[in-house]
Amino acid sequence: MASFDVMPDVQLYQPTELDDALNLAEKFGDSGWLVGGGQDTYGWLKDRAKNPQAMIELNGIEALHGIRETDDGIEIGATTKLREIIRDERITRDYSLLSDAAGRVASPQIRNVGTLGGNLSQDTRCWYYRRGLDCYRAGGNTCYANGPESMNREHAVLGASRCVAVSPSDTATALVALEAIMIATSVDGVREIPAEDFFVGPDTHITQMTALDANEVLTAVRIPSKWAGKRFYFEKVADRDVWDFALVSVAVAMSMDGNTISDSRFVCGGVACVPHRLTQVENAARGKSLSDESADAVAALASQGTKPLNYNHFKLPLMENLVRRAMRG
Amino acid sequence: MEFATYKSDVWGREVIRGVSWDLLWLVVVAAFLIIAGHAIYEAAQKRGDKPSSDGARVTRHEMIDRVSHWLMATSMIALLITGIFPIIGIEFAWLELHWIAGILLTVIVVLHILRSILAKKLADMWISGGDLKEPFEESQKPGKYSLAQKSMHASVTVLTALVIVSGILMFMVIDSPWWERSNLLTEASLGWVFLIHGLSTLALVGVICMHIYFALRPEKLFYTRSMIKGWISKEELDANHDTERWTPDETS
Repeated sequence: MASFDVMPDVQLYQPTELDDALNLAEKFGDSGWLVGGGQDTYGWLKDRAKNPQAMIELNGIEALHGIRETDDGIEIGATTKLREIIRDERITRDYSLLSDAAGRVASPQIRNVGTLGGNLSQDTRCWYYRRGLDCYRAGGNTCYANGPESMNREHAVLGASRCVAVSPSDTATALVALEAIMIATSVDGVREIPAEDFFVGPDTHITQMTALDANEVLTAVRIPSKWAGKRFYFEKVADRDVWDFALVSVAVAMSMDGNTISDSRFVCGGVACVPHRLTQVENAARGKSLSDESADAVAALASQGTKPLNYNHFKLPLMENLVRRAMRG
Repeated sequence: MEFATYKSDVWGREVIRGVSWDLLWLVVVAAFLIIAGHAIYEAAQKRGDKPSSDGARVTRHEMIDRVSHWLMATSMIALLITGIFPIIGIEFAWLELHWIAGILLTVIVVLHILRSILAKKLADMWISGGDLKEPFEESQKPGKYSLAQKSMHASVTVLTALVIVSGILMFMVIDSPWWERSNLLTEASLGWVFLIHGLSTLALVGVICMHIYFALRPEKLFYTRSMIKGWISKEELDANHDTERWTPDETS
């Protein structure tokens, strides 16, 4: 793969009004590239693995920034920095699952510039794909990560369909657990997409990670009050404590009746192309108390249905142990 | 318009990726123009009265052949929908449905071949020298199948064989319930397989459009009826076929 010292020629648009950004997204479609904090942008461009005609930088649009209360929860603008989410009083009080997850993204420097929208919309970290190989995800006809000799330690153990890449977003798991709604806006109008449907798998959309159309902009994330102030658990296992992507993570929201779980959402990251809900664990956890015994009883369900690749069998006990830790008293 | 698309393999060499799906629109437009042209031509012709479907009947297709035909048609349509809809932007989880329909088609084709061989009916579909006179001599009537029908069958046979063989090779390099994917094919070979699969699919789209059109033509509807009910009338037989070359059994 050729290496380059300089960025390619690319048009840069810095709209300050949402309508202008939407018109640009409509105009450029697939050949446009939306930029938030840019942390998943410049590597692609510098390596020429992606070659957009135009970059549309969204940070100057005031309407996309900030954390607001709504009638039923909060709304977070897509260009809100991860650092602001970590430090926001309402979020740390009522939705600490999200602030915990955001606090584990990459490094402090990256969280200072990285945005929520960017973290949610970032592309997968499969290195075969990011190296610029013409794999399925790049529109090709093979997967380099799922061959008999492939190195696939970080790849999927669930939901693979030709492509075995995983979702790299830490905040995604938390937002699926919190039943967030993604607001996708285009010149055609606004779409409200449940977080669970926002992330898409390769069986349906093999060349994209989210349900966003080429002309759409993720403008905000709404978190309903349903889970506000409930019991949360977030844990991310990575090779390094900072500046690394999850090997496996778990985001859990639990509604408690005393010490008994009345309702819950368990979501695993790093195991599939989308944040993976552990519905069997959720069903088994209902009515159980937080204890080592309950944890042991439901933990094995976490890895049911998995299909590990050559080098990622270790993710199965990791999934089980993270669920076990979430369920301990 | 490109015929094929290309990519770089893992060593940076340019290899075929597959067919250029822009050709799909060319095929659809070409099929539409041919159908429209034929429909206009036929409308301008003065035809005599259609033979009656009343009266004595003869068997054209046995039940097992009709079931085989419609199962084949169903699996073929399922394959085209699951293969082509995602390409034209109607996205859904298509892959499993596609290979399940592919297996169904393969099984039916194998059974069809066995029956054709064992029932010694291959000669019915073989294109002979006499068949080639049909377009030029009005008095030359076909046996069981006309030259057009035999040509359609030959086209579908070749194209279906190509999609099945290339489809099986493609199936080998993805995970399935029975095996894990292999690196059976080099990227260059895989590109050729994708190209053959795509081109034969495109050709099948055109051929199937023609087949459906002719099946719905007023003067051919009795053949479609026979593929549903199994019979044609004696009058239809006498008007369209040489009974010395094809002598079907009478039926009730």
